[in-house]
Amino acid sequence: MPHVTDYLQFVLAPQMLNGLALGVSVILVALGLTIIFGLLDVINMSHGEYYAIGAFGALALALAGVNYWLLIVLVPVLMVPLGVLVERFLIRRVYHGADRHVSTLLLTFGLALIFEDLLKIIFGPNTHRPENPIRGATEVLGVLIPTYRLFLIAIGAAVIVAVALVVYRTRLGAMVRAAAYDSNMAASLGVRIGWVYSGAFAFGVALAGLAGVLLAPVYSVFPTMGRDFILMAFTVVIVGGMGSIWGVVIAGIALTQVQAIASLIISPVWADPIVFGVMVLVLMFRPQGLFGRLGHA
Amino acid sequence: MRDRLEISMQANHGLFAALVTAGLIFGAVASATGDVFYLRLATEALILGGLALSVDILLGFTGLLSLGQALYFGIGAYVSALVLRAAPDFWLAIGAATGAALVAGIVGGLIANRVRGVYFALITFGMAQIVARVVYNTRELGASDGLIGVPVLEIPLGPVSFSADDPLGFFLLTFVIIGLLYGAVAYLLSTPFGRVIVALKANESRVPYLGYSAWAARMAAYVVAALVAGIAGALYPMLRGFVSPELMFFASSGNALIMVVVGGVGTLVGALYGAVVLTVLKSVIGSLTEHHLIVVGGIFIAAILFMPKGLMGLVRPAMMRWLLARAEARAPRSGAVRRTTQ
Amino acid sequence: MTDVLSLDGLSIAFGGLRAVDDVSFAVRERAVTTVIGPNGAGKTTLFNLISGALKPQAGRVTLSGRDVTGLSSAAMHRAGLARSFQITNLFSEMTVRENLRLAAQVLEPVSHALRPLRRRGRAADKVEALIDRFSLDAKVHEPAGALSHGEQRRLEIAMCLASEPQILMLDEPTQGMSHADTADTGQLIRDLAREVTILLIEHDIGLVMELSDHVVVMHQGRKLAEGGPAAIRADPQVQAAYFGQG
Repeated sequence: MPHVTDYLQFVLAPQMLNGLALGVSVILVALGLTIIFGLLDVINMSHGEYYAIGAFGALALALAGVNYWLLIVLVPVLMVPLGVLVERFLIRRVYHGADRHVSTLLLTFGLALIFEDLLKIIFGPNTHRPENPIRGATEVLGVLIPTYRLFLIAIGAAVIVAVALVVYRTRLGAMVRAAAYDSNMAASLGVRIGWVYSGAFAFGVALAGLAGVLLAPVYSVFPTMGRDFILMAFTVVIVGGMGSIWGVVIAGIALTQVQAIASLIISPVWADPIVFGVMVLVLMFRPQGLFGRLGHA
Repeated sequence: MRDRLEISMQANHGLFAALVTAGLIFGAVASATGDVFYLRLATEALILGGLALSVDILLGFTGLLSLGQALYFGIGAYVSALVLRAAPDFWLAIGAATGAALVAGIVGGLIANRVRGVYFALITFGMAQIVARVVYNTRELGASDGLIGVPVLEIPLGPVSFSADDPLGFFLLTFVIIGLLYGAVAYLLSTPFGRVIVALKANESRVPYLGYSAWAARMAAYVVAALVAGIAGALYPMLRGFVSPELMFFASSGNALIMVVVGGVGTLVGALYGAVVLTVLKSVIGSLTEHHLIVVGGIFIAAILFMPKGLMGLVRPAMMRWLLARAEARAPRSGAVRRTTQ
Repeated sequence: MTDVLSLDGLSIAFGGLRAVDDVSFAVRERAVTTVIGPNGAGKTTLFNLISGALKPQAGRVTLSGRDVTGLSSAAMHRAGLARSFQITNLFSEMTVRENLRLAAQVLEPVSHALRPLRRRGRAADKVEALIDRFSLDAKVHEPAGALSHGEQRRLEIAMCLASEPQILMLDEPTQGMSHADTADTGQLIRDLAREVTILLIEHDIGLVMELSDHVVVMHQGRKLAEGGPAAIRADPQVQAAYFGQG
C-alpha cells in the first residue's frame, strides 16, 4: 500500500509537525494563563494582547536593528514591568472585592480593548510579516520542513521544561505553589504574597510576549492577533485543568494535533468548532479539567 | 411597608420613566427636524439594550456571568431574517425568533447550568463561539457575509400600519417592545419566583432549604434571559436589513457586558441607559477617529474601578432614600401593614 | 405520641471513613431530641443525610410515615423538614424582612409564584408574626449581614419556622453565643418545643440535659447510646467515650 505510506509521510506527518509548532506556542501562552489563574484566581482576558504586544515589540525592535536572538531575551524582559504595573495598579484594586472572578475578568477584558486599539494606533491596522531569522528547510523523514519551525519546537519545549522545573523543583516554585494552595498560610510562613502575585502575573505576561516573538516569523503580526490565539489558549487551559501546568502541556499538544488533523481530514474551517466542542464537553463533564490545579495536585 | 427590593425596583421604574420621557422628546425633535440618522442610531441602541438587559438578568440578579449572551441575540436575528426573507410578516418573525430562543435557551441552559462560577462564564463563551463559527461556515446561512437583502417590512398594528423604513415609527415600536421586555422582566423579578432568582445571587447554597431547587431556578432565569435576547435580536434585521455572524461573536457579548457595567449592574434600566450612552458615544467618537475601543475600554475600566454601581449608582441611592422616606411616612411603623389591612 | 421522623440503619462512607454508620433512632412528636457526641462523631453528616444534602448509601429516612430517603433538600423542606446550619447561612445582602419573606413564601400556593408579592395572606402574616416573636422589629430593614451574631442566629431559627415545618433541625444554635444569649436561646427552644418537633445538635451539655426529652449519643459515626437525659448521664459507656475525655 504505497499510497498510504506516502500519505502518512508527505501529508499527515508534516501537518502534525506544523501542529506541534503551533502547539508549543499555544502552550507558552496557555502556561501564563494557567499560572495566573492557578495563583491569582484571575481569568486574564487580556492575555492574548500580551502575545500581540510581544510580537509587535519584536517587530519594532527588529526594525530598530536589534538582533533577533537578542529579542528572544529582551522582549520577555521588557514585558515584565508591564505585567507588574497591571497587577499592582489595576488587578489588585478589585482583587479583594466581593466578586473578584467577575471584576477581574471584566477589568482584564477592558484592558484587552485598550491594548488592541493602542497597537492599532501605533502600528496601524495592517498585517506585518517579519523576516524569518532562520531561512531554508531541513529534511525530516524525507520531507522538507522549514527549519524555523523545528527551531520553534525545540526552543518552545526547552522553555516549557524550564518553567515546569522552576515551578516544581525550586524554592521559588515552592513558594508560588504554597501561595496557590493557601495564601494566608503561605503569608504566615513568610512568603511575600504581594510580590508572588505580581511576579507570577508578570511571568505569565512575559511568557505570552515570548510566544509573540517566536511566532511572529511564522504567522502574521496584526493588532487583533491576540483575539484568535487566546481562544485556543483558553481551550487548552480549560481542557488541561485551570491552573495545571502538565495539563496545559498535554492538552496543548493534543488539541493542536486534533486541530491539525481535523483541518486535513474535514476542513480547516471546521477545526475550530471541533476544538471548542471539546472544551464545552470537558466543561460539562469534568469542569476542573483533566488534571488538577496548581498547588492542589 | 415595602421591602428594600421593592423600593429598588421602584427606583428603576422612575429611571425608566425618565428614559421614556427623554425618548419621546427626542423622537419629537428628531421627526420635526427630519432627522433619520439619530433616530436609527437610537433604535439600534435600544435593540442592543435588549441584549444588555438579558445580560443583567443573569449578572445582576441571578449572579451568573455569561460571556456568550450574544448567541441568543444572534439566533433571534437570524431566525427573524430567515422568516422575513421567506414571508415578510412582523408577528411571524417575532414569534419564530421567540420560539427559537426558547429552544436554544433550554438546550444552552442544560449545558451551561451543569457548572458554576468561572466555569459557567467559560462554557457560555465556548457555546457562543461554536455556534458563531458554525454559522460562519454554513453557506445556507450566508457564511461570513451573513444574510443580506431582508425586505423592508410593513408592520400592521391594529388599524394603522407603517413601514420598518419609517425611522420614527420603527423607533417608537422598538421602544414599546424593549419597554415591554423591561416591564415583563421587572414584573417577574417582583414575584415570589423572582425572589428565588434574587436569592440565588445572594446565597445559592441556601436556596434548597427554602424548598426550591436551585438548579430549576437558575435554569428558569437563563431561559428568560435567552428569550429577552432573542426577541431583541429579532428586531435587528428589521432595522438594518441584514444579519451577520459578528452578531454572535464575543465582541457582541462583551459589548453588552460593557453596557451593563457602565449603566449599573442589577438595575435592569441601567442596561438600557448603558446601551444608549455607549452606542451614541461610539458613533460620535467613530465620526472623529476609528479608535473608539480605547475610549470605551477606558470608560469601562473607570466604571469598574471608580463607579461599581455604574451610571445608575449616581442617582439611584438618592431616589431610594426618597422612596423609602415616602413609604415610611405613609406607614409610620413597620408593623403598620396589619393595621392598614383591617 | 407518634414518631415524626425515624431513621433506620442510615449509613454513608467517604472513601474508607464511615462517617455515619448504621444509625437508627426515632424522633417523637413535640419533643426535643438532641444528638451529642465529640467533634467528628458524624453529627452534622447525619443532619446532611436527613435533610437531603447528602444521599445515604444505606438505610431509610421516614418523615410522618412517608419514606423520604434520598429526596433532595428542596423536596425535604417541602415535606416539612426545616434545618439551620452550624455556620450562619443567610442571605446577607437582603434585609431581615426579605429573608423572612423568602422563607415564608413556600406557604403560598405554587399558583401564586408568578403573581405580585402579596402584602397580606399567609406568608405576609407569618413574616409579621415572626418579626414580633423574635423581636426583630427594629432591624427589619437592616441587611441580615449587618446583624450581630446572636441576632443572625435568631433570624436563622425564625426563617426555619417561617415555612411551618413539622420538624425543626437546629445545628448548634448556640454556637459562638455569649452566656446570656445561650440562655435566651435555650428558653426559645423550650417555647418552640410546644408547637414543633425539634431535633438538635448541641455542645453545651448543661443546656442539653436541661432541654432534651431524649438524647442520642454518637461516637465515630455510630450511635453509642440513646435515652432520657438522666439515663445518658449515668451510662458508663457514654461517660467513657464522651464525658470521660476531659
